[in-house]
Amino acid sequence: MKSLTTLLRSKLFFLFLIIISETITAQNIISGIVTQKNGAPIAGANVYLEGTYDGTSTASNGSFVFETSENGVQTLTVSFVSFEPFLMAADVSHLTNLTIVLRDDVNSLDTVVLSAGTFEASDNSKVSVLKPLDVVTTAGAVGDFIGALQTLPGTSTVSEDGRLFVRGGDALETQIFIDGIRVFTPYTPSTNNIPSRGRYSPFLFDGITFSTGGYSAEYGQALSSVLLLNTIDEPDQEKTEVSIMSVGAGIGNTQKWDKSSLSVNASYINLAPYNEVFSDRNQWHKPFETLSGETVFRKKFDNGLLKIYNAFDTTNFELTQQDINTPEGVRFQLKNTNFYSNASYTGSLSDSWKLMGGASYTYSKSKFDIEEQAIKDVENSAHLKLKLRKRFSNRIKLQLGGEQFITKFNENFNGPDVTEGYGVQNNISVLFSEADFIFSKKFASKVGVRAEYSALFDAVTIAPRISLAYKTGRDSQVSLAYGDFYQQPDMGVLKFESDLQAQNTKHFIANYQYVANNRIFRAEAYRKEYNDLVRFDTPTETFNSNYTNGGDGYAQGIDFFWRDNQSLKEIDYWISYSFLDSQRQYRNYPIKATPSFANTHNVSVVAKYWIEDWKSQVGFSYQYGSGRTYTNPNQLGFLQERTKGYNSLSLNWAYLISQQQILYASVNNVLGFKNINGYQYADTPNTTGDFARQTLRPAADQFFFVGFFWTISEDRSDNQLDNL
Amino acid sequence: MRTLFILATFLFSVSGISQTKYEQGMQKAFDLWKNEKPMEAANLFERIAQAETDNWLPLYYVAKINIIYSFGEKDATKFSAQLEKARDFINDATAISKDNPEILILDALWYTAWIAYDGQKYGMTYSGKVTSLYEKAIQLAPKNPRVVLGKAEWEMEAAQYFGKPITPYCKDVARALSLFATFKPESDFHPNDGEGRAKELLNNSCRKK
Repeated sequence: MKSLTTLLRSKLFFLFLIIISETITAQNIISGIVTQKNGAPIAGANVYLEGTYDGTSTASNGSFVFETSENGVQTLTVSFVSFEPFLMAADVSHLTNLTIVLRDDVNSLDTVVLSAGTFEASDNSKVSVLKPLDVVTTAGAVGDFIGALQTLPGTSTVSEDGRLFVRGGDALETQIFIDGIRVFTPYTPSTNNIPSRGRYSPFLFDGITFSTGGYSAEYGQALSSVLLLNTIDEPDQEKTEVSIMSVGAGIGNTQKWDKSSLSVNASYINLAPYNEVFSDRNQWHKPFETLSGETVFRKKFDNGLLKIYNAFDTTNFELTQQDINTPEGVRFQLKNTNFYSNASYTGSLSDSWKLMGGASYTYSKSKFDIEEQAIKDVENSAHLKLKLRKRFSNRIKLQLGGEQFITKFNENFNGPDVTEGYGVQNNISVLFSEADFIFSKKFASKVGVRAEYSALFDAVTIAPRISLAYKTGRDSQVSLAYGDFYQQPDMGVLKFESDLQAQNTKHFIANYQYVANNRIFRAEAYRKEYNDLVRFDTPTETFNSNYTNGGDGYAQGIDFFWRDNQSLKEIDYWISYSFLDSQRQYRNYPIKATPSFANTHNVSVVAKYWIEDWKSQVGFSYQYGSGRTYTNPNQLGFLQERTKGYNSLSLNWAYLISQQQILYASVNNVLGFKNINGYQYADTPNTTGDFARQTLRPAADQFFFVGFFWTISEDRSDNQLDNL
Repeated sequence: MRTLFILATFLFSVSGISQTKYEQGMQKAFDLWKNEKPMEAANLFERIAQAETDNWLPLYYVAKINIIYSFGEKDATKFSAQLEKARDFINDATAISKDNPEILILDALWYTAWIAYDGQKYGMTYSGKVTSLYEKAIQLAPKNPRVVLGKAEWEMEAAQYFGKPITPYCKDVARALSLFATFKPESDFHPNDGEGRAKELLNNSCRKK
């Protein structure tokens, strides 16, 4: 027994020896220091051998030291927030006294952004000028997302139109995209002096990018501007929404399943009761009435997301408007039916390849009756797009894509003496490619090119685009952009004449941006050169006009934007100022002149005040636009006179009755400024040789709105504030 | 015989040591955290996570520490970098353990951090998300005290905000407290916190009128 014990003891001793010696021989020491590029130490970085438990955190001087029992070649990993992870494979015995320099992670928030020309409204972007909610809580916008964008610099105040006029461009020079796919008829139909609105309800979108110039090669057929709307990827919860408004009612429902969701909404607007209470300058025979519905279906796949968006709406109204040439007024009737369908898929093919594909189809039918004339327009349009994106590294990305636009337009004109029918098919095939280079956190660039082939003109256009951004300080940066942009003449021209070519602009943009502590300051100077604009030799487009691409022009100016959510408690405000100098010779302009939609000075001031005790948000918005040009035939010249300036102050008040019930009221132009949009002159002079005129005033000086919004959901926390 | 016993104990403990590298690591990480070195603890959890590729717990704790210590952070860059990191670890943990109520409520806490950071900007968009995460968690684990507590506290905040009575949620907090008494975590390293918070709420917010 004793011998056994001795034996065991010796064995035990032996075992001990083995363990100890093994530990001794196997313990390697790994040491070094971790710093930034400029040599400053990084404290708290995680340093370890991959796949093992051996590692440590760096000390305050950046140094680290730890022991490992691993042998041979191992991978040393160093990681720290806001830096790219560092990996190094080497024999552990060599991993001593290392100096490891971590590279900045260019995906982090303080990396330079290519900001020339671009405003973003989203939660996810690095610099968000507007928040998604602003789009719907801006006083004066009355739930129209276009209205909120009109408070940004670079837009002109053309209040009777309602569409976006960007940097001296007309409304047709801005294109709108939903989930990257073109929208062909984004605005509700309207007539003279009655502003149109964005067709789509703002609460379906959670990201809006508004570019006033110099945009990506992915987008084309827009001379001045693009507006990119992204629908929500995944709704939060199942809910039913009811709204009762002074002008109509709406209902919506969202259903969620494991991998998919469906949102449906419908609304009915009828201005008859409103017009009864507040009469305006028009004589309404059939007040504005619109019925609309939208559905969004989303389905998640393992590596991608499919979204299908459908919108239908039908609008009709009939009225008589004052006209200087027709004492009894001009009777106008409109019926429009619009259907839009958009399907898009985004997904990853592998770690570095991403695919985005989509298609949209638009059917729009309009019937206009103007006195004795009846016009019927039918537009069928489609857009197909496929895009691939390759990520070579965090610093180099390439995208390639192709798209096809198909538009078929037919018009029937029935007059007392004439019956005419005309149509045009306009197909455009496009290839584009663009590369992003992030050289460092401070310096980035985007270079792209876009080639378009027009079947109608049998011509190719090549449009290069480039932008650069450089960070000048911790919170400031400068960006430059240049680009060529082409756009086909619009259907109003193409339906009569197709022997033309694409119109062109060149954008030169320099931007300075300062972002810190919930404050944003932007200043942007630009010059835009227009070439090959369409001209014709009759007062408006007709079938026997002569059309050429002989027009040209320019727009230049400077835009300022300031937003501050910090200095004043519970108050969030922004101020925009735009200076614009623009002249052009196009359409029937006999000489180069400033168009009536390009006023020199535009100012917007928007403020929102949250009153905690009242559970209310009070909003205020002031808009100023300097006078707009018009032609006075009693004087020599063309577009030689200017109206007085435009002023409007709007207020809104949103009161949260409970988590799910909101009462909302708004008044546009509270102070009742008597604004003048322009003048209409008689076609023929009166007996004294003067051309008589009438003032074009808004249909109503003010607009009142009251609505009650109620959300019914299982958990009672959601509400429709984002629906206002 | 005695020697054999010693030997057996010794061998057992040797093998024990080698088997519980994980336990040692986790224990050390918790100690670091307790000793006010949360980021070092997070680093250690991260190291354990990359060695134990099928265990959600270390991932969960990396995310949890980054979220907890983001509250009160004023530097936008640091705040978002920290939360982005937490997001990656929540996603990784979810990939290992789907429909895990503990991860779901951590996910809810992630959104709550954004709301706390800028309520005006994120409140409306993220509060629905938080609510639906708690809804899902409570369906999966109606008797998990942390789920009951988290949901109750969230609803309490909302009710307070709208000037509604918080009494119904105090009842839920009390229920959570009684659930804590009988709650048995699956292991020493599974989440087992929150009891103190429940008492705090009952003694403070729920006492006030």
